[in-house]
Amino acid sequence: MSTVATRTRQVVRRPARRAAWTGRAMLVPAVFAVVVIAVYPLVFSVAASLSDSSLGQQFTDWVGGANYAALFTDGVTLPSLVRSVVFALASAILALVGGSVVALCLDVSVRSGRVLRVLLLLPLMTPPVMAAVVWRLMLAPTGGLFNNVIQTISPGAEPFLFLGSSPAAMISVIAVDAWQWAPFCALLVFAALQTLPSEVYEAAQVDGAGTLQVFRRITFPLLLPSLLTALLLKVVLSFKVFDLVFVMTGGGPGFDTTVSSYDIYRSGFQSFDIGMAAAQTIVFLVLVTIVIVPLNAVRQRAQKGAS
Amino acid sequence: MTVQRSRSSYRVVAASAVTAGIIVVAGCSGTPAEDEGAGTLSVLIAAPQEGAGKILEEEFEKAHDVEVEVEVVPYDQIQSKVTLDVQSGTSAYDVIQYWYPTVGALAEAGALADITDWVAGDEDIDQADFIDAVYQPYTQYDGKTYGLPIDGDTHVLFYNTEIFERNGVEPPATWDEYVDVARTITENESGDGVYGTALLGSKSAFNIGSSFFNRLATMSSDPIDSAMPQLDSDVAVEAAQAMLDVSEYALPSPLEIGFEQALPQFLAGKVGMMEFWTDLGVFAQDPEQSQIVDGWGVVPLPLGPEGSVSGALNAGWAMGISPNAADEDLAKQFVAFASSADTNEMLITTTGSGIDPTRTSTLESEDYAELVPEVAEVNEQVLPNAQSWPTSPAAPEMIQVLGDNLALMLQGNLSAEEAVSDTWDTWQPLAE
Repeated sequence: MSTVATRTRQVVRRPARRAAWTGRAMLVPAVFAVVVIAVYPLVFSVAASLSDSSLGQQFTDWVGGANYAALFTDGVTLPSLVRSVVFALASAILALVGGSVVALCLDVSVRSGRVLRVLLLLPLMTPPVMAAVVWRLMLAPTGGLFNNVIQTISPGAEPFLFLGSSPAAMISVIAVDAWQWAPFCALLVFAALQTLPSEVYEAAQVDGAGTLQVFRRITFPLLLPSLLTALLLKVVLSFKVFDLVFVMTGGGPGFDTTVSSYDIYRSGFQSFDIGMAAAQTIVFLVLVTIVIVPLNAVRQRAQKGAS
Repeated sequence: MTVQRSRSSYRVVAASAVTAGIIVVAGCSGTPAEDEGAGTLSVLIAAPQEGAGKILEEEFEKAHDVEVEVEVVPYDQIQSKVTLDVQSGTSAYDVIQYWYPTVGALAEAGALADITDWVAGDEDIDQADFIDAVYQPYTQYDGKTYGLPIDGDTHVLFYNTEIFERNGVEPPATWDEYVDVARTITENESGDGVYGTALLGSKSAFNIGSSFFNRLATMSSDPIDSAMPQLDSDVAVEAAQAMLDVSEYALPSPLEIGFEQALPQFLAGKVGMMEFWTDLGVFAQDPEQSQIVDGWGVVPLPLGPEGSVSGALNAGWAMGISPNAADEDLAKQFVAFASSADTNEMLITTTGSGIDPTRTSTLESEDYAELVPEVAEVNEQVLPNAQSWPTSPAAPEMIQVLGDNLALMLQGNLSAEEAVSDTWDTWQPLAE
């Protein structure tokens, strides 16, 4: 009896061990991908941030926290972090509000809005560099579309410096970013609108609820988790903005539109100070995490509440 | 069932291992095969020099049985591209065109080969014919030669003769007169979209840096020190102040104006005068892109009280050889060809090449004088006396700091004195 039991255990253990090894082996590509994509760059960035590294000569000397100390006193990095937060939140909220309005309009005209929907996606499909070039031309003080309109309305008026004055430059870049990404938000919100239960709306109609009441008490609460998801995604995308700033303003006037991603580029590829660029990247990463984590928590709570 | 599952598990394991292997192999296979570059020469060219690059490619291929592959990149990315190429061991480029202020940084990073002995020993290069003011800063670092000049860029003052006549003004001889002329034209005609001047004030080095060094070079009695330009002097503050003084009468807004924005406005007859590269003379006579054909003039830059006729070497280009060039002799032949007197003369007399003289013989060339007589005459006065931007290994960072502070000055956040002194303070540790 005991011999049979032992054999049975052995038979059971072998496949179990084999399955365990199989499982581990199957993880190899995933682990490898995570190491290559996430761990190595992070470890490299942390190590570079603690070193004196230029583009040509990396890790020439270990400098401890000197790069971090320098970025807190250089007068450019900290303001650029603040600008990044302002830019990310403002452009995300603007894109979400604009996108939601578009989605609600599309929802009303869902049958006849196919062509319109394609047209609305055009900004999203335009390469950001191209969009930035077009907007830069339109916002130019001489010969730009907007200033030509101003000149037509008020001949002889001084040109308005959309990209050459404060705070117009930052507002302009935020507006262009929101213009480009509003269709993305519209798509997400429109998809969410299609999943809302029609019974609730029918009941509200029977009870005689008005349009605004329906939006405030039914549509918005049901849509909130999707809106927060869209907001989260857009905030992350906005933190990464680079092309618009690079083409439209070059971070100017002065440093008015120098957000962190552009500042990191300047350190790494204009000053060739890889150590400083790495330190700025780590601090930026911490900042993005500080903004994203609570936003994600709110989104998860809203999702639980809705379900 | 157990056997089937076991076989399928082995297949999955094998597939996983193969996938991982492929990823590893793919990740490691970045180096081209050794024989791939045979018979070809890879040349890195900056975007503003694309026209010249194409001509050089065609002419060299005609004369030699090789294929020249020209890669054009934005001018501000040459240094990072070249440095990364050498660092990574990719060795994609044989010949590198570089902006001369980066010569120290590139040499220090090991991205340019030391060609001192070759240049000194090859009589065909005719080293003595190069304009000395161009040759020294473009090619020398730490007593060694790292390249040969291709384009001797400097600024002169172009003006629109019709606008000047309408406003009863003459080309300014001093920077104070420059402000007066700009004020007169802008006050009279800005309502019609015509401005006295276009100040290149956009934060990129080619723009705001050129505006500053133009003034520093022509205001100072001493030449600019290319290791550490003398920003601790009164004349440096005066140079910055001269930019600030004219900014309110310049095409709006100086902080947004780079050469790409200023050029079409001048050619459209909307700008009274402008400091610009000498090849503007060729563009201005091209009826396809200019509305001011035969309606412009050119003079040397205005002067300060103690200055003399001069200019700054803004945006000049040289060619060097990668230390990892696949065929060093072929690379040398190309650099010698591109920098030769014949090629330089051919390029400066070709519309759209964007190239200026680098040699005494070409500066005095009859063909060049015939094509753009006014520009050639002014260039002959200015180029031999042109002064250099910083060229030390820290130069790219020094120039960026200067540009940042000058932009803050034009924005109204710093005075001229603060902009210059802040820059000087930041430069000190960089120089060490």
